[in-house]
Amino acid sequence: MIGHIRKTLWRLLALLAVLAAVPALADDPPSPAELAKIRTGNAACLACHSEAGLKKPPKDGMDLKALRKYLVHADTYAASDHGQMACTKCHGDGYDDHPHAAKAREELSECQDCHARKAMRIERQFDKSVHAENLSDSFTCATCHDAHTMALASKLRDPHKIVAQDNKICLDCHDSDLAFARIAPEKKKRPPIDDIHDWLPNTRLHWKAVRCIECHTPAEDKLSLSHEIQNKDKAEKKCATCHSANTSLNARLYRHLATEEQHKYGFINSVILGTSYVVGATRNPTLDFGLIILFAATVVGVLGHGLVRIITTRLRRSKKND
Amino acid sequence: MTKRVFMLPLWIRLWHWSNALAITVLAVTGISLHFSDPALPLVEFSLAARIHNVTGVILVGLYAVFVIGNIVTGNWWQYVPKPPGIIQRCLRQMQYYGSGIFKGEPEPFPPTPETNFNALQAVTYWSIMYLVLPAVIVSGLIFLYPQFSPDTLFGLDGLLPIALVHYLGAAVIILFAVSHIYLGTMGPKVSSLFKMMFTGWYEH
Ligand code: HEC
Ligand code: HEC
Ligand code: HEC
Ligand code: HEC
Ligand code: HEC
Ligand code: HEC
Ligand code: HEC
Ligand code: HEM
Repeated sequence: MIGHIRKTLWRLLALLAVLAAVPALADDPPSPAELAKIRTGNAACLACHSEAGLKKPPKDGMDLKALRKYLVHADTYAASDHGQMACTKCHGDGYDDHPHAAKAREELSECQDCHARKAMRIERQFDKSVHAENLSDSFTCATCHDAHTMALASKLRDPHKIVAQDNKICLDCHDSDLAFARIAPEKKKRPPIDDIHDWLPNTRLHWKAVRCIECHTPAEDKLSLSHEIQNKDKAEKKCATCHSANTSLNARLYRHLATEEQHKYGFINSVILGTSYVVGATRNPTLDFGLIILFAATVVGVLGHGLVRIITTRLRRSKKND
Repeated sequence: MTKRVFMLPLWIRLWHWSNALAITVLAVTGISLHFSDPALPLVEFSLAARIHNVTGVILVGLYAVFVIGNIVTGNWWQYVPKPPGIIQRCLRQMQYYGSGIFKGEPEPFPPTPETNFNALQAVTYWSIMYLVLPAVIVSGLIFLYPQFSPDTLFGLDGLLPIALVHYLGAAVIILFAVSHIYLGTMGPKVSSLFKMMFTGWYEH
């Protein structure tokens, strides 16, 4: 009995220690010396898990066909959110030698293990999403998040790159019968993504300029975009949400640029102009005002001229009659 | 006794009123797109976009009719202001609009089948039809197929110059339309020229 309690206490202590260690782990970037060590360690994995490794296998008799599916691109990895981490931080020690340990896969850390606080908030949103509600538990954070490639919007900065990264996640599945069928319920047929959105003109152009999540998530989360992908009835269909002076793009795709100058060359929402001209949103109020004045002046001028014509005609007529 | 002269063949009148209708629709929907505001939409954005695109393509067709019709019938010659004294005739015309008309002077260059337009009209119509409208049409077509616009220009989106040409050109055409309609009242009677645009006959 006492042994049992002691064991539980130890476990609790260990958990607390982990929880206390996580923020430290997540906040401090590694020193240059540490980073060099990490890179050397990762290079050992990449000796096999890269195009070069595939071409010139460091070891004979490997299952190259299987390896081909498991490549990690060194530069993309280095630029990603986890680029300064050792592969073994997530993958454990089971992969140190090849052939890899039979149970190595079971040691794989989940996002929640290191991002406890953030994951808690996000998990609440994810649990309400169509994917969590309609699909099996096999749909997890990692179904969308490739831990080796994904980078934060604030890190990518260029909206084109952000859109490409984020939409690839959804389109790799929603635009591919194979991938979709792997996770969809038995009878569910994949609705062709362009047909569903045929009410959206220049559909493919929109896929390059805005993200799926711009329309498919609620706007309430102040900290970041919500992870609650809602069902289709709640999706945004109003064009003016983006195509107007008060465009929601500022709070969404361009939020990481929100502090940048908003009125360059007199245009409103001018941060967007670097990547997209958005009818109705990126306009120039000074120019608009000038043209409205010009229009009003023309109308007033024309009416005034007409009035003088009427009056002078009357005067001439009454003179003739005199 | 009024005299009647036949001035305008049917194809020009049909073209003119289709063009007027198309441009009115394009102006209303274009303004709705540009000043898009969910609180007070003139025409709701997606509807405006659909109508604007369809009417834009119709206008392209009408413009083709205009150009081809003018070449085939030789009517394009009307749009060429003939020397000598173009500037003097323009000034004379402006002086008429500015003061002569108030004094009841007669029109200095009344329309005839040979010279339908006075010099000022010829210059204005030529610029609108062969400079401004083509610019609006070409920029509109690029707007419709944005893959043909430059990707970026001076660090800004390549569609921006296209949009500015389209917007400013559209503004010039709308301003022209206002004065054009008003000048339509300057015939022998207020209604004469409008009647001519329907019947083809000029009465004076
Ligand atoms: C000597 C070559 C080699 C090295 C070094 C190597 N791997 Fe592998 N790895 C493979 C091959 C080949 C496969 C394909 C399946 C198999 O043979 O097990 C594989 C498969 C994998 C898999 C997917 C298979 C699964 O079931 O999980 C992971 C994950 C993996 N390796 C991670 C690593 C990590 C992390 C490192 C570095 C610590 C590493 N590997 C080092 C050759 C290597
Ligand atoms: C932040 C954690 C994390 C880091 C760091 C990490 N991985 Fe992974 N890795 C994962 C996860 C999670 C998966 C499982 C993905 C899945 O289930 O589809 C995975 C899967 C893999 C696979 C198998 C791919 C597959 O489709 O199943 C390989 C190979 C791999 N990682 C190699 C590496 C290498 C090499 C490194 C270092 C350069 C590395 N990983 C760093 C989390 C990580
Ligand atoms: C072994 C621990 C570990 C695991 C597991 C892990 N991460 Fe990370 N993650 C880190 C560290 C360390 C950083 C870099 C430090 C930082 O910027 O917070 C990071 C950074 C990030 C960032 C960017 C920084 C931020 O503030 O959000 C994101 C996004 C992220 N991880 C998502 C994930 C996702 C999604 C998973 C699951 C697929 C995952 N991580 C799994 C440790 C981990
Ligand atoms: C349906 C796909 C999808 C799923 C499932 C998903 N994410 Fe994300 N996640 C995204 C996309 C897309 C972004 C980029 C949004 C952005 O740029 O703000 C993102 C961004 C993030 C970020 C960084 C932005 C932030 O809010 O701080 C973190 C951390 C994160 N996800 C964690 C998770 C965790 C933890 C889970 C599992 C509970 C998860 N995600 C599940 C698609 C997904
Ligand atoms: C401009 C807003 C917008 C964007 C961007 C957008 N969607 Fe949609 N989506 C909608 C709306 C609105 C519906 C509901 C359509 C309906 O019911 O007619 C919808 C429907 C859907 C459906 C439901 C299909 C069905 O009938 O079962 C899926 C799946 C979907 N979208 C995925 C995506 C993906 C993936 C992307 C990114 C490539 C995306 N959407 C981008 C607005 C958008
Ligand atoms: C791995 C595959 C996969 C990925 C990745 C994925 N989805 Fe889905 N999604 C599905 C499946 C399967 C369904 C059908 C669920 C069901 O049975 O209704 C679905 C349903 C949806 C629906 C609901 C349609 C409805 O009927 O109401 C929307 C909206 C949607 N997805 C948007 C997205 C967006 C946005 C992303 C990217 C952030 C994304 N999905 C990523 C597989 C995926
Ligand atoms: C999520 C935000 C968003 C929504 C909602 C949205 N759009 Fe767009 N739209 C954009 C962005 C951003 C661009 C700029 C694309 C580019 O050129 O980079 C664009 C471009 C366009 C263009 C292209 C202009 C051109 O010809 O180059 C048209 C037309 C358009 N949208 C119409 C619509 C209509 C109609 C709707 C509603 C049914 C709509 N959009 C809804 C964001 C949105
Ligand atoms: C004289 C006639 C026209 C007027 C007054 C007009 C006016 C406008 C205006 C004000 C806008 C909004 C632009 C912005 O906010 O930047 C616009 C957009 C647009 N115009 Fe026109 N336009 C005319 C003719 C055309 C023609 C001939 C075409 C096509 C061939 C065209 C195609 C477009 C397109 C594609 C857009 C983008 C929005 C959309 O796709 O609906 N326009 N127009």
